[in-house]
Amino acid sequence: MKSRNRKNFPDIALNAARYVFAFIMVALVGALLIKSQGNDPLEALRAIADGAFGSRRAIGTTIRWMTPTLITSISAVIAFRSGIWNVGIEGQMYMGAFMSAVVGYELCLPRGLHIVVCILVAGLSGMLFALIPALLKSYLNVNELISTLMLNYAATFLTEYMTFKYMGFDSSVLADAVATNEMQETARLAKLIPKTSATTAIIIALALAIGVYLFYRYTVKGYEFKMVGENLRFSKYGGVNSRRTFMTIFLVSGFIAGICGGTEMCGNFGKFRTAFATNLGWDGVMVTSIAQNNPLVCVLVSYIWGALKAGSLHLERVTSNNRLIVNIVQALFVLMVSVDFKSLYATFQNHRQYKKLRRQGGSETE
Amino acid sequence: MNIFFSLSTLASMVRLTAPLAFATMGACYGHKAKIFNIGMESYVLISAFFSTLGSYMFKNPWMGLLFGIISGILTSAVFGTFVLHFKGDPFVVGIAMNLGASSLTSLLLLMIFKTRGSFSSPDIVGFSRVNIPFLNNIPIVNEIFNNHYSIVYLAFVAVIFSQILMYKTPFGLRLRGVGINEKASESVGVSVIKYKWYSLILTGIFTGMAGACLPLCGLSMFTENMSAGKGFLAVSAARIGVGDPLKALIACIIFSYVDALSVSLNSINIPSQIVLMAPYVVTVVVMCFTSSDHPKKFSFGRKKKERVSA
Repeated sequence: MKSRNRKNFPDIALNAARYVFAFIMVALVGALLIKSQGNDPLEALRAIADGAFGSRRAIGTTIRWMTPTLITSISAVIAFRSGIWNVGIEGQMYMGAFMSAVVGYELCLPRGLHIVVCILVAGLSGMLFALIPALLKSYLNVNELISTLMLNYAATFLTEYMTFKYMGFDSSVLADAVATNEMQETARLAKLIPKTSATTAIIIALALAIGVYLFYRYTVKGYEFKMVGENLRFSKYGGVNSRRTFMTIFLVSGFIAGICGGTEMCGNFGKFRTAFATNLGWDGVMVTSIAQNNPLVCVLVSYIWGALKAGSLHLERVTSNNRLIVNIVQALFVLMVSVDFKSLYATFQNHRQYKKLRRQGGSETE
Repeated sequence: MNIFFSLSTLASMVRLTAPLAFATMGACYGHKAKIFNIGMESYVLISAFFSTLGSYMFKNPWMGLLFGIISGILTSAVFGTFVLHFKGDPFVVGIAMNLGASSLTSLLLLMIFKTRGSFSSPDIVGFSRVNIPFLNNIPIVNEIFNNHYSIVYLAFVAVIFSQILMYKTPFGLRLRGVGINEKASESVGVSVIKYKWYSLILTGIFTGMAGACLPLCGLSMFTENMSAGKGFLAVSAARIGVGDPLKALIACIIFSYVDALSVSLNSINIPSQIVLMAPYVVTVVVMCFTSSDHPKKFSFGRKKKERVSA
């Protein structure tokens, strides 16, 4: 009986309510934040929209910032769907970026091949960096959440150290000048829309998103990956080698995170600068949690993320608002989306039933 | 080799233990009540900001501490509302709070102090150093333990307080009980959600103190993202100590020893990046040796049944 009642449960409506509620809350708080700085919220909104969709250049910037967010979010989807908390995406991305910048400068290859090599090397070094927490997790049972968090910090410093060593800098170099050499022209991705910052990296990102979606939907391995996350006991019973599957998932996630570093280098940066990407990996984690681990929804959410980023850059240029407001609003949105209406509803129902029972019981004793 | 055990290294180890020990005590309450609190990083950062503000406004470090504690409790309340009442995923809520906190403090820095990056002022009064007279005559101990900031001693008091609260009082028993088995504790009339809230408030108080340590111990300045993973380190220290304050303190001391050592190593031609990397790498290494279900067990003390792998 109970399970049938559950089925009637308005799942879709509650899910929609979740996003609508989050949006309303965020709009309110965002407006208040802008008001508190003494600015007009509508004007700010117009500036953001203008910076995100207003011109060809704006659309290019939106796509440019959508790309890394999408790739990192796909990396997070793969890990989170199977219940692996790989939050070391940022660190894996740094390793990938550094290695691809080095390969992009050192090798002389024909154009197409060079890009492929760069991105593959980036992916592999991201994967190697993910191997550390993966091995620790599967053989020493070290919690991967904390180890990847710590390795993020380590990766930032390690890449900085390697940049110093590789370029032969000593500590007297100014912080702005700490970067590797410019990559060869043959290793750079072409522009998607001329005279904007959108590159063809978006095609790689979209291909990854669709590929991962199809992988989960149509392949046996994808089903295994999903099942390990949803029901570990069942999948063990079904003969899945859980340790090996966990390792594979971790490595694939690291590989994709590394690819993000590679596309960033081959796309817009062109050389590895220390601390080049503040929070790109975390953006991916946030997008994934909003999209609830669905790769196709990730595309949509990361488009919004890119638009917000492009808009916030424009916002800072044309008004006196700070783009940190947009960052706060983004974090708030994640916070609001995490509200679980389904269990809230269930608690509410329980409470009502409990009250009803109490009332009935009370009348009997009287 | 002398550098590893030089008195100045050990003295700065004691000093650096303070913020970490406070935060770890906070994490221990969370660990015992089985709340996986990755958002502690944001508590530390936000209370660091507000204790700077409090000290700046009243020119008194203790007001700064009070501001830090209050903001710590409030931040913890946000986490508690979302996790306990709105049933959000603690991991997602924590990450959103961490990222939000780093933007929020930068924005507040800009709004209130009108600077970016960092803010320092002579008006931010730090804690004063305390001289303990009877230590003066003991040679080595005096160098290491005497003349620290007053809050450093408070940190060790906090550890002992936590140990007593957790193991010698009915409150502590119930708190641990909630963590071990929610249904069982509910069946004997302990309100689970109430005790989870208590643990969150205690976490807020102690992380607030940790936050106050950062800007008010000698530096007298607030910098963006100044918590630099202290909250994460605290969570892992609590995990290593299985939520037991004294055992977690040992982990804290190891971390802060590495931190102190890196200050000394900086002077002898070891690249600064490697030095800065050391505390994080050491954390991972220590976790390798102490994680549960590890065949060659090396943990502080005997194995306990209540060990819960989360």
